[in-house]
Amino acid sequence: MNQLLQQLVNGLSIGSVYALMAVGYSLVYSIMNFSNFAHGGVIMLGAYFGFFGLTLLKLPFAAAFILASVGTAVLATLIERVAYKPLRDRKAPFLYFIISAMGASILLENVVIATIGPTFRTYPEIFAREPIALGSLAIGRLDLIMFFVSAFCLACLILFIDKTRIGKAIQASAYNMKACALMGVNTDLVVLIVFALGGFLAGIAGVFFGMKYTVYPQIGNITTKSFIAAVFGGLGSLPGAVIGSVLLGVIETLVAGYLSSQFRDLIAFVILIGVLIVRPTGIMGKTAEDKA
Amino acid sequence: MRMRALLCSLLIAAVALVGCAGGQKVDTIKVGWFGALTGDQAVWGENELNTVKMLFEEYNAKGGIEVGGKKYKLEVIGYDNKGDAQEAVNVTKRLTGQDKVVAILGPNASGNAIPIAPILEAAKVPDIATVATNPKVTVMDGKVKPYNFRVCFIDPYQGAVAAGYAFDRLGARKAAILYDVSDDYSQGLREFFKASFTKKGGQIVADESFNAGDVDFRPQLAKIKAANPDVIFMPYFFKEVALSANQARELGITQVLLGGDGWPSEQLISMGGKAVEGCYFVNHLDYADPAVADYKARYKAKYGKDTELNGFLVHDAVLMLVDALKRAGKVDGEAVAKALTTTDIQGITGRIKIGADTHNPEGKDAAILKIVNGQYVFQEKYAAN
Amino acid sequence: MDMTYIQGILMLAGINLIAVLGLCLLTGFTGLFSFGHAGFMAIGAYIGALMTVPPSTMPGSIGGLGLPFIFGILAGGAAAGIVSWFIGRITLNLKGDYFCIATLGFGEATRLILNNVQTFGGARGWPGVPQYSTVLTVFVVDVIAVLFLANLVKSRHGRNMIAVREEELAAQIAGVDVFRYKMIALIVSAVYAGVAGVLFGHYMTFIQPKMFSMTKSTELTIIVIFGGLGSISGSVLGALVLTALPELLRAFDIWRLVFYGAAVIVIMISRPKGLMGGMELSPAGIRKIRAERRARLALKEEAAREAASGGRS
Repeated sequence: MNQLLQQLVNGLSIGSVYALMAVGYSLVYSIMNFSNFAHGGVIMLGAYFGFFGLTLLKLPFAAAFILASVGTAVLATLIERVAYKPLRDRKAPFLYFIISAMGASILLENVVIATIGPTFRTYPEIFAREPIALGSLAIGRLDLIMFFVSAFCLACLILFIDKTRIGKAIQASAYNMKACALMGVNTDLVVLIVFALGGFLAGIAGVFFGMKYTVYPQIGNITTKSFIAAVFGGLGSLPGAVIGSVLLGVIETLVAGYLSSQFRDLIAFVILIGVLIVRPTGIMGKTAEDKA
Repeated sequence: MRMRALLCSLLIAAVALVGCAGGQKVDTIKVGWFGALTGDQAVWGENELNTVKMLFEEYNAKGGIEVGGKKYKLEVIGYDNKGDAQEAVNVTKRLTGQDKVVAILGPNASGNAIPIAPILEAAKVPDIATVATNPKVTVMDGKVKPYNFRVCFIDPYQGAVAAGYAFDRLGARKAAILYDVSDDYSQGLREFFKASFTKKGGQIVADESFNAGDVDFRPQLAKIKAANPDVIFMPYFFKEVALSANQARELGITQVLLGGDGWPSEQLISMGGKAVEGCYFVNHLDYADPAVADYKARYKAKYGKDTELNGFLVHDAVLMLVDALKRAGKVDGEAVAKALTTTDIQGITGRIKIGADTHNPEGKDAAILKIVNGQYVFQEKYAAN
Repeated sequence: MDMTYIQGILMLAGINLIAVLGLCLLTGFTGLFSFGHAGFMAIGAYIGALMTVPPSTMPGSIGGLGLPFIFGILAGGAAAGIVSWFIGRITLNLKGDYFCIATLGFGEATRLILNNVQTFGGARGWPGVPQYSTVLTVFVVDVIAVLFLANLVKSRHGRNMIAVREEELAAQIAGVDVFRYKMIALIVSAVYAGVAGVLFGHYMTFIQPKMFSMTKSTELTIIVIFGGLGSISGSVLGALVLTALPELLRAFDIWRLVFYGAAVIVIMISRPKGLMGGMELSPAGIRKIRAERRARLALKEEAAREAASGGRS
């Protein structure tokens, strides 16, 4: 029983890391209808921004946090301008966006290797490593803080999209970009804002990831998992991304804990494909007509 | 237009490459090196190439080395292969075919050292692998590969040492294993540890794995905790070791952790901190050994950071090569390969006596190191029996 | 320049080309985007090796059936094709990114299984695969692959596939069995990938699950898009250029993958249809390009004339 509870805590904690990353994916997907594979690279740089903010600039934690998030927001919009906008102007099919995004992701990872170097770096210890003990249950402090910060950020994001004028424009563009442009919405600006928001979240995800798992140029790879989680939950849906991530985290943990860690990913994939057969657009995906 | 600019730059690059290949001087010996300079293995690749460059500069500053009564300077041609087997084949073809090197140093990964054997044989160029520990790097189906050598001990030996030490010295009877299922090195060590430990009468109570790129090991660790082992064997590299050690302690696992030669790194201590205190690992050498102090200091002075484990081994690979060149008496791959089979030198990682039918350094004892107060403290030289 | 090195690169390009041609049909002609074709390559490589590796004589070495190379190629391709039929049954109804993720799952699952199956050496790989792939075999298979694909694309089936890519719904209404054509494209692409895997294994003489990772799948897809969707000659050109590119960029040392990434973006944004999007390097294709250029020139002249006349009045 104790082990099961511990495994559930582990699963929730892993799921919340996926969620922070998956939301950025889903946000961009909801409006651009393509998976932004450069997101992993942006998260990785967020981790580095935070790290250097803390160690080189000796900033207090909150300031480093903001530096990282703003830095990645700028970076994400920059990538949009360089790698996607020309494609958008040309109304290229989504395949080109994906390839361009992959190019950007290769570029970012290797720029970091060439300039900062391939070594792993450890964040200074900000929150004590000793977990909070509840009986024989161990809950990491960082996990708890991360959980609340990400919940807060997601709530803010959902409020922003629901209540503000810009948010309404984003929602409308997600529904139909062309019609929106005809109604006088500056869709170009909307896209930029969406990328900035996605980048901002990537910065938060990066800093947390770095604190929890150290910083290195291949962090971006882990975002494959959050991409899977986003698909699982239904691309384009923010609550879907969160639910998909938490479910994926818990399923992975339970499979590794009770079935077989050797075949963990295999079983997770089988479950994923099973879900997709029943619900071809994920748990909460928008039932978009074919976008290709 | 931009397309044309790209093609132009490609052409320029191609021309530059041809240019590089053209200017061959008679008084230099070209030695190839390859390994990962990008990708997640880049830490070790950079360390190896830096060491080779430093040693060659030192030889050249002393006027080079004498081969067959003539002085030669040494030149290293180093290529990145991303740790990828396909690129390993490409660069070996390039080094042997185009750059005409006399010998190749590296790589560090067995999966990269195995596929290059037919190319080496065709080109008659010997290769000395650094930490490629799979037996099949040098011996295949009972036959030794004529141009493949290595400077490190092999997986079955290392696994047996770890199992023997755990059983005999640490008194462990129940062991748990956590390993990287997608990594050849990790799977090899796990297999040989398991075999030796059970043969000694021990019991494997948990055998869990993860996948390359994973960062969270708590599900597996929670399962291991429930199995209550005496010792946990972690045969993988230091980044995952540090992460899994931290997470194990978070879950209240207090057992001794045991590892292999993927552990030692400056970063293990900085990342793992208190979590790896009191843990043991099998290593190729004792860092406090006076024999290695000089190299360590020279490396630090030149590059401003500490050397990794690979540096020590590539250092001895260079010694092996220079010795073989001198004994061969001519700059010729075939002669060097022949001389390498009778190598018997004192390296900084111990005596290196190459076995003629294995091409491995024979009788190289493993060193057991313990982490005490963030230092690697030498315990003993330990040979598996 | 030395021949073994150049030859090696050319052979790799030729092997990649086979897999790329298959994907060219799948992605370029039916619009499906796969992240898992390295999985089909892996199946081909392992089944192919199983056919050709001589029977085991030593304990600890992995033996096969010791058959000639042609059986390896056929069996590898067939195995990949059969597996793809099962995968297709399950996943072909998924759209866009959902199909991507399903293929990604397949590719990763294949690798995971191979890592765990110790019969084939697990993650430690399978050394001792005979070195059967030669310039000649690769070239012959390439020619057969191109000819077969060119004929398929030109046939009624090929036109139906393009219809599926352009407007799936409309194609369906017009009576095209969309699922069937997607299935044909998937199976053909899987067989191609399987054959490429066999040749790759017999070129490397060593196979390891690591070689068939998601990176390999995405590399192949990048080549298809780089070469131009729906163009066979584009795929040929793309396979040559992109296989050689990382080698040509060696001079840039650790910066070479930075340039590679940048090159991919530059191509995408400056040539939105890839190198040869929708065009072919064949007599008919060249005529078409010329006709288009003439039409464009005529349009420009007309515009200029109009502007000039506008200025006068």
